[in-house]
Parts: sequence; C-alpha cells; structure tokens
Amino acid sequence: MNRPAWWLVEIVSRLLAPDEREAVNGDFAESGESGAQALLGALGLVARRQTALWREWRPWLALLGLVIPLGVLLSLVSRMMADGSAIYSWMYLNNWTWTYVTNAGARTDLISYAAEISLKFLALVCWSWTAGFLLGSLSRATVPVNVPVFCLALFLGELLRAPRYLGRWIILPRPLGHIDSVHGGVYSLAFYSLVFPLVVQMALVIFPSLWAVRQGLRLPTLTMVRRTILWSCVIATVAALGSENSVWWQFRTWNVRPNPAPFPHLPSLLPIALLGPIGYWLAVVSRKALVRIQGEQANDQHFS
Amino acid sequence: MLGEFEYLLLTAAVRLGEEAYGAAIRQEIEATTGRRCSIGALYTTLDRLEKKGLLKTWMGDATPQRGGRAKRMVRVNAKGVQAAASFYNAIARVSRGVSWEAKRAVSGP
Repeated sequence: MNRPAWWLVEIVSRLLAPDEREAVNGDFAESGESGAQALLGALGLVARRQTALWREWRPWLALLGLVIPLGVLLSLVSRMMADGSAIYSWMYLNNWTWTYVTNAGARTDLISYAAEISLKFLALVCWSWTAGFLLGSLSRATVPVNVPVFCLALFLGELLRAPRYLGRWIILPRPLGHIDSVHGGVYSLAFYSLVFPLVVQMALVIFPSLWAVRQGLRLPTLTMVRRTILWSCVIATVAALGSENSVWWQFRTWNVRPNPAPFPHLPSLLPIALLGPIGYWLAVVSRKALVRIQGEQANDQHFS
Repeated sequence: MLGEFEYLLLTAAVRLGEEAYGAAIRQEIEATTGRRCSIGALYTTLDRLEKKGLLKTWMGDATPQRGGRAKRMVRVNAKGVQAAASFYNAIARVSRGVSWEAKRAVSGP
C-alpha cells in the first residue's frame, strides 16, 4: 500500500510549483509520514492551491474563451477529416486489389489520395500540437484543470456527436451525417462511424496535444524576437484552425458558390497549420544554438 | 488582525528562530496545540503571511534526511512580530476577568 501511495504522492505533487514540490516532498520525508498521510496532505495542498487560483477571473476567461472552444473545434475538424478519409480508407483497405498498384491510372489516384489525406492528417497533428502548446504555456498552475477539460471537450464532442449538432449552427463544407448520403454504405459500418473517428482523434489529436502541453510547460525563457516569432506562428495556426472548417472551406471546396459570381479561388489553409510547430522549432533551436555558440566562445576566451 | 492559525504559525516560527522551516514549524504547532496541522494549511498560510509582508521565505539547503530536498526557510520580520504581539494583547485584554475553568464547571454536565 505504501509504495503505490508514495508513487501517487510524486504524481500529485507535480501539480505544485517546483520549489513548493521540493519543500513539501522534503517535509514528508523528514516527518516520516506514511504514504497515505502524505498523499492526503499533498491532495489537500493541491486542492487549496487550485481553489485559490480559480477565484480569479483570468483562468475562467482562458477556460471558456480558449480551452473549451479549441477542444470542440479540434473535435469537429478531427471528425470531418476522419469522415472524409473513411471513404478512401474503405475503398482501398476493404476492397484492396493489386490493380490499384499495377494500373497506371489507379496508381496515380492512390498516390494522389494518399498525399491529400496525409497532408490533412499532418495539419490536424500540427493544430493539435499548437492547441496543446497553448494550454501548457498559458499557465502552469491551471494545467491540472485545463487539460482534463480540453480532453473532455474532445471526447464529449466525439461521443455525443456534438459535431453533428454544431453542423446546424456552423457553416460546414457538407452535413456531418452521412447515413443518407451516397457514401452511406461506408458510414453504416460501425468501424468507420465509431471506431475510426476515435482512433483518428486519439492518434492525431490527443497524443500530439498532450505531448505539446509538456513542451509548453518546459518552454525556456525566450528573447522578444523569438517570442514574437513563436506567438505569431501560434496565432496564425489557431486562426487557420478556426477558419478552415467554416466559411473559408465552404467557398474553397464546396460547390455552393452562386454561379456565375466571380469568387476568387481561395487557397487551402492547411499549410498554415504547420506554422505553429515551425515557429516553436525556430525559436527553441535558434536559442539552443546561440547558447552553445556563447558557451564555446566563453571556453575559447578562457583558454586563450 | 491575524487569524488564530496565523498567530500560531508566527509564534512557532519565532520560537524556532534560525531553524524555522516547513516541517519544523508544523511539528512545533502539533506539539504545542496537540492538534494535527495539515501541510496544505501550513503552506497556504505561509504564502498569505508573506503576501501581507509579515514574514519572508526562501529555499534553504537540502539535507540527507529529507531525501536531498531543500527546505522552505521562514523568518518573521518586525511587522510580523508587531502583528503577533498585537493579536496576543487583544486576546489577553478580551480574556481579562474571564475564568474559563469556572465557566466550564458551571455549564458542564
């Protein structure tokens, strides 16, 4: 009982600020408390800290204005992408024949569909990463509440079919209820209507966003220029996520333009999704390189 | 005006002097009052008192008996001493002429 309790104490105390965690765990070790007593103490302290924090208005603003909308939005986009790629997955995986490879025309189609789906999935991973990074870097103290709520928004959106309700309120490229559509056969399979969207969400949304929460929490102190680059990229990515599934996408991809109105051909926003991770990579890698160069210069001066 | 637990904490910290840190203060309070002092109450009260400017805390040295972890050291400043003295005087004044032993004897079963 004692060892699991101490393991839980370690986990729970990670929700405290680093200095406080150090002092509290040291106090537990010094006072010779049992694992259960220490666990109760750590839980009590975390609860008190969270209660004090959520009396302020700022965490609520971030939760209601950013965390929940991002979770629902990602759930929506993830569902749309899973539904869109389900048709091709069914076509190629459930009806596989080597003709897809041996026939030149079929091969071109296969490569083109695979590239299109890969780009969309890559964009989804990047959007998820950026959302997670925002959650982690906004405030370390609110992470214990924000991350579970974010995951809940994602899962509730998926499990309660929220995207289908939202489809009535938000302009979507096509209605998110395919049972009556020409592809109804695909979506009548439990795998493609239930399991596949959940797998897509788990692999391309949950894992990348949780990974990015860690990176957001460990974000080093950056100079103003690097910070500006990073946050411009993050804002552009979130803006692309917000618009890609609404009017922009509709006019770009869906045949609802009132002909012959001269609408311009709008570019895809998918590549903009890459900006968030690229901005992070640029900011952090350039900082590491600078620190390394400064260290080498200091060494050279020391030995010369 | 301080609260009861704030007063207990300040008094324990002053008594411990240079050796005042989280675990020691907690032990001191438990030993003198005979009541359990939760680590949550201790650290949130320390923060509150520090925000009020009644004491100062900083991370001290790590010791082997703490598993190599640092202590959160506490020092009560002049304003803290004044606040504790003021609380004590108020309790002493308000208690003047009241004998709790006698009251317990009268109202007891």
